[in-house]
Amino acid sequence: MKMTPAMKKAQENMLPGVIIADGFLGDEKISIKDMMVRDEGEMSRAGLDFDEVADRLLYFLTEGQKGLGEPVTVDDKWLIRVVDPRGKLPCPFEDGIFRKISAEIELKSSGEKLLVTDLSIHLLKEHHFIEGIGSQFRLEPELVKRVLFS
Amino acid sequence: MNFLIAPVVVAVIAGVLAAAISIVDKIVNNYGPVNISINGGEKIVTLNGGDSLLSSLASQEIFIPSACGGRGSCGACKCQVTSDVGVHLPTELPYLSKEEIEKNIRLTCQVKVKADIDIIIPEDLFNVKKFKSRVKSIRDVTHDIKEVIFDLQGEEINFQAGRYVQLVVPPYDKIKGTTQRAYSMSSKPGDKGVIEVLIRLVPGGIATTWVHTRLKEGMEVELIGPFGDFERSETDAAMVCIAGGSGMAPFKSILYDMFEKGDLDREVWYFFGARTTKDILYMKEMMELDAKWENFHFIPALSEPEEGSNWSGETGMITDVLDNYLKTKIDSGKAREGYLCGSPGMIGACNNVLTANDIPLDKIYYDNFA
Repeated sequence: MKMTPAMKKAQENMLPGVIIADGFLGDEKISIKDMMVRDEGEMSRAGLDFDEVADRLLYFLTEGQKGLGEPVTVDDKWLIRVVDPRGKLPCPFEDGIFRKISAEIELKSSGEKLLVTDLSIHLLKEHHFIEGIGSQFRLEPELVKRVLFS
Repeated sequence: MNFLIAPVVVAVIAGVLAAAISIVDKIVNNYGPVNISINGGEKIVTLNGGDSLLSSLASQEIFIPSACGGRGSCGACKCQVTSDVGVHLPTELPYLSKEEIEKNIRLTCQVKVKADIDIIIPEDLFNVKKFKSRVKSIRDVTHDIKEVIFDLQGEEINFQAGRYVQLVVPPYDKIKGTTQRAYSMSSKPGDKGVIEVLIRLVPGGIATTWVHTRLKEGMEVELIGPFGDFERSETDAAMVCIAGGSGMAPFKSILYDMFEKGDLDREVWYFFGARTTKDILYMKEMMELDAKWENFHFIPALSEPEEGSNWSGETGMITDVLDNYLKTKIDSGKAREGYLCGSPGMIGACNNVLTANDIPLDKIYYDNFA
């Protein structure tokens, strides 16, 4: 599938060591356009809506911040740990700069965890990009469904 | 032999182009010797132009604090430029306030030194040094925080308790270049031959992942410092200190420094927030200090103590515990000052509690992670 120059630049920015240590592509070698088309299908099959997931993630990120750096239990079911280190990160699509804030969302009953950042919520909501398979921050649709909507 | 003609022609053309690019680069980017005049000519360094201001100064052993090592992602390496170096770049603007832009504050990693340049930097930066240290010990102080002690191999560091150093992380795995990250020193100034830091694992973090998975005792590591302006004031006001997690670091340094120097008349309240008992560090050491030092009060508080942990201390969010103590236990008739170390969210929440209890913002000092 063809990529626009902006998408090609975004894919370069997603390589390891350009913006973050491990990059955004995981172990994948295919174009981000192909990844996005595939993952839109994965999200749809899981019954997930991008905006709804983004809102849910933002809710947990916001609630987690109330722990002031320490883990906090939210709605009795989730354990959220927010880390807010120094610095900011640009979006690989070059449409914004985001704090490095990240949240680990753990469903206490199963112990399953999601790792999400300000930037990954933006990538999901605005670009329908959930990161490549193998990326530490990939929002795997089935896992998202189990952790966020149980 | 005809099949060789095409590859040879292509190779020759590529070689000529590469040589031409190299020559053009040397001509276009050769700015020759330039002078950097610092603080109105107090110090003038001469070097070849073409590098960033941050790198140029570092090459002369003048280190501007930078949490990202010059990648333009932290906004820490600011200094005022008083000569003309052109307009602010789009990469600088997100990190600068309107006032800073008006004063021509610049990110030194984004400003290229092409001609003579005049800058103003804090005097303290002349004392900053690069240390080639060796890792003396690494110890888990909680499940996700490591205490690392670096031996300065005969060199000494002179600093005020509360300052930080930058750890230089070498390339590893997919990380191509070096990375720098700032960590408050938890060692006390009296221990000049070592630097101790507390490093909490940040998921996906370049430096913290390296420290937690690659750093071993005996390895050589570069450190740059001291930096910062967080320190205790020279007053006799009661100190109300608040931290959590690795925010313990500057307070450990300050408290042991006060104890070592016999500065024991001053009242100090230290509130430390954690979720469970396994998230508290240096509990034994702080309780021992509390027992030995009459005016020091250590108040650990757990937000979610584990069942069966027999926790008998304070429970709840640290801000609620702080509010209660400010209203009922810490004498409001005496001068009080706030000291904070943590994330922007933690600083903001504690600022609200302190100001609501009549500690003005200009009496609140903080070591802001962001």
